[in-house]
This record gives sequence, C-alpha cells and structure tokens, in this order.
Amino acid sequence: MPDRTQAPPISKIEKIDFPQPARYTLSNGIPLWVLDTGVQDIIKLDIFFNAGRPYENKKLVARATSKLLLEGTKKHSAHEIAEILDFHGTTLASPVDLDTSSLILYSLGKHFPKMLDLVCEILTEPIFNQEELHLFQQNTIQKLKFNNSKCDIRAYRQVTESIFGSDHPYGYNSSPDLINNIKRADLVDHFSRLYNADNCTLMASGKVSAEMIQLIDQKFSTTLNRGESAQPTLSLETQAPKRIDDYVSGAVQTSIRIGRRLVNRAHEDYNGLYLLNTILGGYFGSRLMMNIREEKGYTYNIFSSLDTMLYDGYFYVGTEVDNRYADKTIEEIYSEMERLKIDLVDDIELEMVKNYLMGNLLTMIDGPMNSSEVVKAFLINKLPFSSFNHLIYKIQTIEAEELRTLAVKYLNRESMWEVVSGGVNN
Amino acid sequence: MIAYEKFSLDNGLRVIVHEDQSTPLVAVNILYDVGSRDESPDMTGFAHLFEHLMFSGSENVKDFDDIIQRAGGDCNAFTNSDITNFYTILPTQNIETALYLESDRMMALKINQHSLDVQKKVVVEEFKENCVNTPYGDAWHLISRMAYKKHSYSWPTIGKTVEHIEFAELNDVQNFFKKHYSPSNAIMVLSGNISLAKAKVLSEKWFSDIPSGPPYLRKLSLEPKQEATQKVVTKANVPMDAVYICFHVAERKHKDYYATDLLSDIICNGKSSRFYQKFIKEKKMFSYIDAYITGSSDPGLLVIEGKLSEGVDTELAIEEIWNELEKIKAEPISNIELQKYKNKVESSLLFSESSILNKAFNLAYFESIGEIDLINNEVDIYANLTSEEIHRIANEILIPENANILVYEKQDA
Repeated sequence: MPDRTQAPPISKIEKIDFPQPARYTLSNGIPLWVLDTGVQDIIKLDIFFNAGRPYENKKLVARATSKLLLEGTKKHSAHEIAEILDFHGTTLASPVDLDTSSLILYSLGKHFPKMLDLVCEILTEPIFNQEELHLFQQNTIQKLKFNNSKCDIRAYRQVTESIFGSDHPYGYNSSPDLINNIKRADLVDHFSRLYNADNCTLMASGKVSAEMIQLIDQKFSTTLNRGESAQPTLSLETQAPKRIDDYVSGAVQTSIRIGRRLVNRAHEDYNGLYLLNTILGGYFGSRLMMNIREEKGYTYNIFSSLDTMLYDGYFYVGTEVDNRYADKTIEEIYSEMERLKIDLVDDIELEMVKNYLMGNLLTMIDGPMNSSEVVKAFLINKLPFSSFNHLIYKIQTIEAEELRTLAVKYLNRESMWEVVSGGVNN
Repeated sequence: MIAYEKFSLDNGLRVIVHEDQSTPLVAVNILYDVGSRDESPDMTGFAHLFEHLMFSGSENVKDFDDIIQRAGGDCNAFTNSDITNFYTILPTQNIETALYLESDRMMALKINQHSLDVQKKVVVEEFKENCVNTPYGDAWHLISRMAYKKHSYSWPTIGKTVEHIEFAELNDVQNFFKKHYSPSNAIMVLSGNISLAKAKVLSEKWFSDIPSGPPYLRKLSLEPKQEATQKVVTKANVPMDAVYICFHVAERKHKDYYATDLLSDIICNGKSSRFYQKFIKEKKMFSYIDAYITGSSDPGLLVIEGKLSEGVDTELAIEEIWNELEKIKAEPISNIELQKYKNKVESSLLFSESSILNKAFNLAYFESIGEIDLINNEVDIYANLTSEEIHRIANEILIPENANILVYEKQDA
C-alpha cells in the first residue's frame, strides 16, 4: 500500500533545450527557418509579412487585404481555390495579428508541391475582387454587431482603445463606417507596398525534406520581388487614465477590464514582468484566481495578461462577475496589486510559480507545431533566440525583491484604465 | 498509427499506455464514465459541479492544483453529457506526483461546506457567463428540451437552471462520489514518455488498493422516434436572427455514425462546401453557417446552424435550407465530392495525432464505448464509405418528421 500521507518527491526541470531551427536564405533574400522534427507526414508552412496595422495607410486595410487574398486570383475564383484546398485536405489560413499578416498552410506531405503552387499563385496574382470585398464588408459588420453584444468584448475594445488612443494602430477599433470605407484600391496599395521579399519571413515545420526546401526556394524566388522593408506609423496620444462605465441593459454580469500601457518583449523589464504577471493572474494558482474565484466565488474566471507587440505592450486584468460584486472585485484586484508592492512573495509561492513556468515552457515547445509558434513569436518580435535562455535564467534566479520593485514601478492604480461593461451594480 | 497497450488492475481500473519517446512530457488522463445523462431530472448540472469539486480536496491533499503546479504540470477537466474527463500534462520525471494526486482523490474525496459553497457560486457564474449573458447562450437549453422528451440528453451539461446547482448539498456530493467515482468506472491513459513496464509498476503502486466499489448499471430511457416537426421560436436580445435545425441521428457506436458525420461535412464543412457556397457566397442569406454532429455516445443530433444576414426572413431561409437538403437527398453525391471529404478527414486525423493529450483522451473515450481499436481504424472506415450509404442516411434523417427547429428573432431595441 502506498503511503498517501507523503507526496512523492518533485524533481526540478534544470534545463530546457530551445528547438533551434535551421536557417536558409532563399535566392531573393527571404529567410527560411526550418524545424524538421516531425514524425507524421505533415508540414506547416508559415509565410509572414510585416504588414499589420503599424504599416497601414488607412484603418482596417491590413486585415481586409489578408482576408481577400484567398478570394480569387487571375487563374482561379474564390470557389475554385476553396475546392482545391479542401480536396487535398489542406488548410490555408490568413490570420493577422497587430503587427503581422500571415498565410499559413497545413498540408499532408504528399500534396505539398501542388499546394505550394497555389500559395505562390495567391501571392503573385491576387485580384481583390470587388464583389468579394463587398461581401466581406457586410459579414464583418454582422460579426461586429455580434461582438458588440458581448460585454467581455465591449470592455476589451474600450480598454485597449483608451490605453493607446483611437488613432493608434494598437488602439483603434473597427466600426461600420470604417469597414464600409475600405476600397479595393486600398487593398491593392497595401499588398503592393508590403507583400515583398524584403518584408517577408518563411518558416516550415513538421516533416520537412531537403527536396521540399529546394522547392520552396525555387518557387519563392519568382513569387516575391525585392522591395522596401516596412516603416511603422505610430502616433500615441496619452490621456490621464479614468474609469469608463458602459451600462448594458439586461446584462446579468459585469465585465471588468483594468489595464495600462506596458513594455514590449525587448524591454529589460519584460522577463521579470512575465513572472510578476504570472503570480498576479497568469495561471490557475495565481493571486487573483485564488482570492476572487477560489475563496470568494465571485467569478468563473479571472486573469491578468501581458500582451506584447513589436513596438509596444500592455497589461490588463479581466473578469466577468455577478453585477453585485463588480465594485468589490475591482477593489480586490487593486488590493492584490498593493500586496505585491508591499509584501515580498514568500519562497513557497515563488518556487511554485517557477516550477510551473518551467513546465509550461516545456509544454510550449513540445512537438513541431507548438515549437513553431514559439519560434515565430521571437521572429515577429525581432528577438534573438538566445532571449529564450534569458527568460529561463530569469525564471530560475529571480528573487522576491526584484518582483516587488517591478510591482512598485508598474502596478499603480493611478496608471490604470478601468472599463466596466454590463449590468454593473443595478 | 498509434501503438498502445492495455491492462486492468484487480479492482477493475483499466489502464492504457501509449509510449512516445519524442517528448519529455507525459499526459495522465482519467476518464470517469459519468456525465449529465446520469443525473436525475430534478438535480441537473451535478456531474459538472462535481468535476469542480474533484479539485477541492481529498483525504491527504488540500489543494490539487498547488501540487501539480509545483511539479511543473498543468491540469484541467471537462464534463459532457456522457463522460467526465480529468487530465494533467507534466514533465515525465514527476509522473508520480500526478498519479499520487489522482489516486488520493479516487480513494477518498473530502469536501467541506465552504468548498462546496464557493464552487456552487463559481459554477453559477460559469452558467451566467456562457448561457445567460451571451447572445444565443440558451440555444442548447432550448434544443435539448425540444429534441429529447424521454432521454436525459434533454438538459445540457451545465444544468437546466442555476437553482439546481444552488440546491446541491454535501451528502449529495458523497453519494455521487460513491456511485460513480470507483476504479471500475474509470479509465486511465498514460501517454508520452513512459514505458509499459514502468506504467504497470506505478499503476499497481498507486491504484491497486482502492476498493472496487459497487458496479454502476446505466439504465436510461430511450428516446422514442420523433413523429412530427417540432419548432420553437424565441424572441431574444440577440444581434441578428438565427436558425438551428437539428435532426436525430445514430449513436457513436452505430455503423451509420461515420456516414452521418461525412453527411454533415458535405452539408457545410469548409469554404467549398455546399451551404457555404450557396448561402454565404451566392445567396448571401447568412453571414455565418455551419453543420456538425454532436457525436454523443447515445443517439445524438446533426445540427445546421446559421446567423441570418440583415433583412432576410427566417421562414424563407428555412425553406431554402430544405431546398438544398432535397438536392442532397435526390441522388448520391459524386465520387469527387465524396473523396474531398474523405481527404479532409484523413488530414485532420493525422494533424490531431501530434498532441499527446489528444491521443490520451481519444484512447480513453474509445475504450469507454468499448471500441478502442477505433483509434487506428477510423481512417479506414471513413475511406470505405460509399456515396450510396450517405445517400440512404440523408433520406432517412433529413426529413421534416425528424427535424427540431429553433428560431431566434431579434427583439426590437
């Protein structure tokens, strides 16, 4: 019979090997990173451009360009493209984040050459069909209506807009007017300015053969021309933070978002803040979760998040609570921040969060599909892979004093925007 | 191909091992064969509430999450109408920590009044977040009640009402534990960096002394065949009108399950599919449309759901959906169209194999329905389907007598 009064000893993770990708340079200068760690005959090709919001000449054009790319070339209609992809069991997605526009191909190895041809065609001869644009605008407006009927999204939109300002690429929100104002010529302009070889990075992961690499080089050297690398436009208007009450009739819960501008990943405080944020609200055992969910039962979920972009970053706390507890929850959130500014995190908690984060990093780089996400994040943020080791070193060595210093520096109530969407205290 | 080994302990606990040396991690997945279908109609939502309580303390463990995090692991759980599933992923050198914690809570759960009170509040907030304070959030309450009159699928896993959750008492918790959380009602999968030999030793060590418990015999009422179209129209505070059309279909183990699954793909899976092309691109009647099957262990539903474009009449939209379904029923689909969906399935099965957690859950679920070989056979079953089979099923199920229609009408602001 096992002795259940004694937990088994725990062994620490001493080191984590970063999945170092191989680097190739295509003949037209595009860097190709390869993570060949796959067992299954699958490949993911990620093609990404510095073509996000900081490089727009007009609001919302980055997303629209990315979505319309898949809606027709000179040779194939949108329907035909969809048929070819679906028939080969291939997924071609065109996600955008704030800085980057990507085309991501998930294919079985056996269909890769044919799918690569299609991807290159999409990047060479997109037509940006007017009728498809119109449909995109209509459906995007419908989706916006849906989003605006949800308190959590309402609150999130308002807090990020307040932090950066409504004209900043990281702050502005979409509106029916802005959506309707997108013209076909805007997409053509965005595409021709930014989808070029000097603004592009490729990453292949999964089971990637030498022939595939050769094929990628051969195809891409004629697909994208040289060009100029993108220059961002960032106009920050900062205002004094305040509370925004957004009453939503009939809401049985209140969404709270409390946040501020913070740092990007290249900043010297980022690694320490990564730990501080984890302690406050970055995992199940966090202070906010333990206090507001597990002790008080005010909410199903509460979290804090450190979101970073290439040129900036922000921090926010988010939760959905019973209307009656909205104000109490806000006070508890600040009292948890205060506690971090006054008391040192004790050794037991600090060890738990360190161990948790080491395991979490191990999970984040497990398998080719996961690793490729981590590698891509470094590439997008223009950080050397060695910063992964710096993060690990910080996790292993940080002490309570440094965390308190960071809390004092950054977690001040006066610097926080508060958005409260929902039934509030009615 | 996913290689696995299976053995049982004397107390009835089934253990499945999938070794994958390419990862430094291991997933510990425990499935308990109990879901919301096993609840009584006046105490719904209990299986899910109980899942929360499984993290609230056992005989020797005050805080499950605390210890898992200390071991560099991450854990979570989910409940559906059929099963409750707990999983942890952690560095393989700490696998005993996960086994110790799972063993302790399988042996003796220890819940106090405060934990129960807090988790009831948490689950009530979860209910409000997902089902009340979100547009269309009550869709599954309305659909389940309409489509199931006898079978316990007539309420969603979260529960019929928040009151049911608020009623739960401590002795209900202990009774539920005794009835459902015994080794003979559980399946454990260890997937990742672990050998069969080690898995055997550790399973014996941590689980063999847990008493087997009384067997649970599931006796659920069968749902009688539906005789006529059912329809519910609800006026609600939603941003746009929406329709859901739900048809009764075969259970997970039935031979028709796979053809039914492909049928739902043919209706609407992917941008090249019939409904996407017809209703989003061509007619522009919907801004969103999808079709899927619930995939439940007992007979489930094939669901077509869509959000209407501004100004489109819901009755007209439903009529147009029927017109398109008639085309699918008129003649077997072409081999090319069939091949397309087979290829999509092949691809998505292969991509899903790259996660040890996915593999662990799939092994556990297939074992729970007594069909573990499906983990490797499914791809061939799909590949061998014929358009005639799909045609037959389309004509059996896509008929008005078998339809449950839910309509959301936008309330004027």
